[in-house]
Amino acid sequence: MPSLESRPLLEVRDLTVEYDTGDRPVVAVDHVDLDVHAGEFVGVVGESGCGKSTLLFAIAQLLSSPAAITGGSVTFQGQDLVAMNEKKLSALRWRDFSVVMQSAMNALNPVKSIGAQFRDTIMAHDEPVADERPAEVLRLVGIDPIHLNSYPHQLSGGMRQRAMIAMALLFTPDLIIMDEPTSALDVVAQRSLMVQIKELQKQLGFAVIFVTHDMSLVSHFSDKLVVMYAGQVVEFGDTRAVFDHPEHPYSAGLLDAFPSIRGPKVPLTGIPGSPPNLADPPPGCRFQPRCPKAFEDCPKIAPELYQVGAVQARCLLHVKEPVRERTS
Amino acid sequence: MTTVDSMDTNQAGVTESAAAPLLEARELTRHFRVGRGFSPQMLHAVDEVNFSIGRQEIVALAGESGSGKSTIARLLAGVYKPTSGEIFYQGRAMSTFRSRKDQLAYRGDVPMVFQDPFSSLNPAFRVKHGVLRSLKLHRRDLTTKAQRFDEAERVIEAVGLSPAGDVMQRYPYELSGGQRQRIGFAQALAHKPKLILADEPVSMLDVSIRIGLLNLMAELRESQGVSFLYITHDIASARYVADRLMIMYAGHIVETGPTESVLQNPKHPYTDLLLGAVPDPRAPLAAGLESDTGEPPKVIDPTPGCRFRWRCPLAVDRCHSETPLLRVLGKNHEAACHVAEPDS
Repeated sequence: MPSLESRPLLEVRDLTVEYDTGDRPVVAVDHVDLDVHAGEFVGVVGESGCGKSTLLFAIAQLLSSPAAITGGSVTFQGQDLVAMNEKKLSALRWRDFSVVMQSAMNALNPVKSIGAQFRDTIMAHDEPVADERPAEVLRLVGIDPIHLNSYPHQLSGGMRQRAMIAMALLFTPDLIIMDEPTSALDVVAQRSLMVQIKELQKQLGFAVIFVTHDMSLVSHFSDKLVVMYAGQVVEFGDTRAVFDHPEHPYSAGLLDAFPSIRGPKVPLTGIPGSPPNLADPPPGCRFQPRCPKAFEDCPKIAPELYQVGAVQARCLLHVKEPVRERTS
Repeated sequence: MTTVDSMDTNQAGVTESAAAPLLEARELTRHFRVGRGFSPQMLHAVDEVNFSIGRQEIVALAGESGSGKSTIARLLAGVYKPTSGEIFYQGRAMSTFRSRKDQLAYRGDVPMVFQDPFSSLNPAFRVKHGVLRSLKLHRRDLTTKAQRFDEAERVIEAVGLSPAGDVMQRYPYELSGGQRQRIGFAQALAHKPKLILADEPVSMLDVSIRIGLLNLMAELRESQGVSFLYITHDIASARYVADRLMIMYAGHIVETGPTESVLQNPKHPYTDLLLGAVPDPRAPLAAGLESDTGEPPKVIDPTPGCRFRWRCPLAVDRCHSETPLLRVLGKNHEAACHVAEPDS
C-alpha cells in the first residue's frame, strides 16, 4: 500500500490512452492508477499487447499519433506532465526522469561514439555538468571509460544496455523508466544487469519503473508489482505478497508459466490463448475467456479492483468491498 | 489429428544402421577468419566438440550468447562447413553427401526452426505458402496438389493450430508470436524430419507462451518420432523438456550428462554460474546478490588453458597452462574441469 506520510514522486491517476484507429478507438491503457515513491522499484508485468509499454510511454509523454492520452493525469514532483508543453518537458527529461528503451542497439546512434552521444545529451540541457561526468557514470555501471571512444557496435549487448543506463544516470535523475532493458540479453548478463541496477539504486536513491513480461525476473528486485492485462491493472501489491499469494488468476498463471530450476518437475500449461483484441474486448472481465476459474457472472460484470488482504485484485472471486466506485 | 505415417519411406536415401546414433559429431571444429590484411586472426567459434543425438531424444545445448551454440546448429544444418572434424548422420559422414539428392534428403531429415518468428516467415505470403513449398521440395511421395494440401493441414494441426484450413489462408501478421513459431515447427514437420534443430525457438516469445511450445516439442517427439536439438540460454526450460544437457562455454562443451544429474549435481563452475543466474521466485528473496561482471571471451587465437579461468572462482595454476578435457565424473556425466571432483 502506498504510504500516506509523504507525497509520491509520481502519481498516475485514471490514465487512459487510446489509439485512434478510425472506426473505433482502441483503449490500450484503461483508467490506470499508479504511485511511485522516491527510491522505490516498481515492476510492471504482463504479456505483449497488454499495454505496459504504452503506459510507460504515456508516463514519459513520448506517445505519438495515433496514440494519445484521453484522460487522467501524470503528476511528477507536483507538476502535471500531461498539461506540460514540449519545451518544459525536454528540460525535465534526462535531468529529472530518464527512459531506458528495450533495445539499446536501436536506441544508440550507430555512427556516433558513446562519448559523443553523452555530450549531445549534456548539451541539450542548461545544467552544468562536470567534464569527467561521462567517465564517472560509465565507471558506475562497470564499463571502462576507455569505451567513451567506442562505437555501439564495438560493445557487447550487455555493455550497450549498460551504456544506456549510464546515459540515463548523467544528471542523476529521481526516476528511471525502463522498458524491458534485459530482454535482448541472456540469463547471465540479465542477472548481472539486474543486480547492478539494484545496487545503483541503493547508492543513488532513484526510483525505477521496470516493465517486463518475465515475472520471475523482477521477483527479487522490485518493491511493488503491477500486473497488467488488456490495458487494465489486474493486481497490485507488494512484490512478495503477490508472489506468495497471487489473488488474480492471471497473476497465478504468469507465475506458473515458467519451469522451476530446483523444485519438483511438474507439467505446466502456461496460459492458453492470447490476450484479447483491445478494439473488441470480451464482455465482463477481460480475462474471463482464458480464465480457469471463470464462473457465470464473469462475462456479465466488469470487475473493479478489490482489496484482498495486502493486495488489490480485479477479480469477481474477491467481490466484498470495492476499493473505489467507478462508472465506466 | 491423424496418426503418424509409417516410417518405412526412407526418404533420406541413407541406409539406416541401427547401431549408430541418429547423429554424431566428432572433433567438430569451426573457425572464422577475423581481422584483415596482414594481421589475419582466427576466431575459434567451436573447438573439437564431440556429442551424439539419439532417436526420439531431446538434447539441450545451453550457454551464453557467443558461446558457439548457434554455430553448432548451423554446422549441423549444413549452412557452415566444418573447419575440421566430421558429422555423421545415421552412420554416414556428412562430407560424403555430394549429390543434390543426398543433400536435399539430409536437409529434409534435419530441418531448423529459427529464433525470431517475426522475421523467419515471409510477410508477403500466406501461411500455406511456406508449408506447401517444403512439401513440394522434400516430399516426392506426395504427387498431387490435393495430397500436399491434406498433408499441410495435418502438420498444422499437429502443431496445435486449428482449424488448419483457416490458419493456412492467413498472413503472418495475423498471427501472434507463439502461433508464428508453431508455423515454424509445422514447416519443419512437413519434411517428415528425424531431427529438428531448434535454435532458441522460444526466447523471443512471452513467458506465458513459451511453455506451450516446450510442451509442443515434447508432444511432437512422441507423436512424430522426431529428435530435437534444443538450443537455449534458459536452463530452466532445458530442464523442462530435455533428456540430456550439454553446457557450452567459449566454443567448448564443458559439461554434459542427463539433465537432472547435471542440474542437481553440477560439476563445472560455469554450470554453477548459469544455474545461479536463473531467476527463481520460489527461492527466497535475498538469494545471492553477488555480481558476476564477466563475459564470455572472444576466442581469438587461443593459448592452451581453460577458457573459463578468468571468471572461475576455483581456478588453480594448472588451469592457465592446460586445457581441460571432458572426463567422466558420474554416470554418463562428464565435465571439462581440472578441479571438479567425481561422484564418490
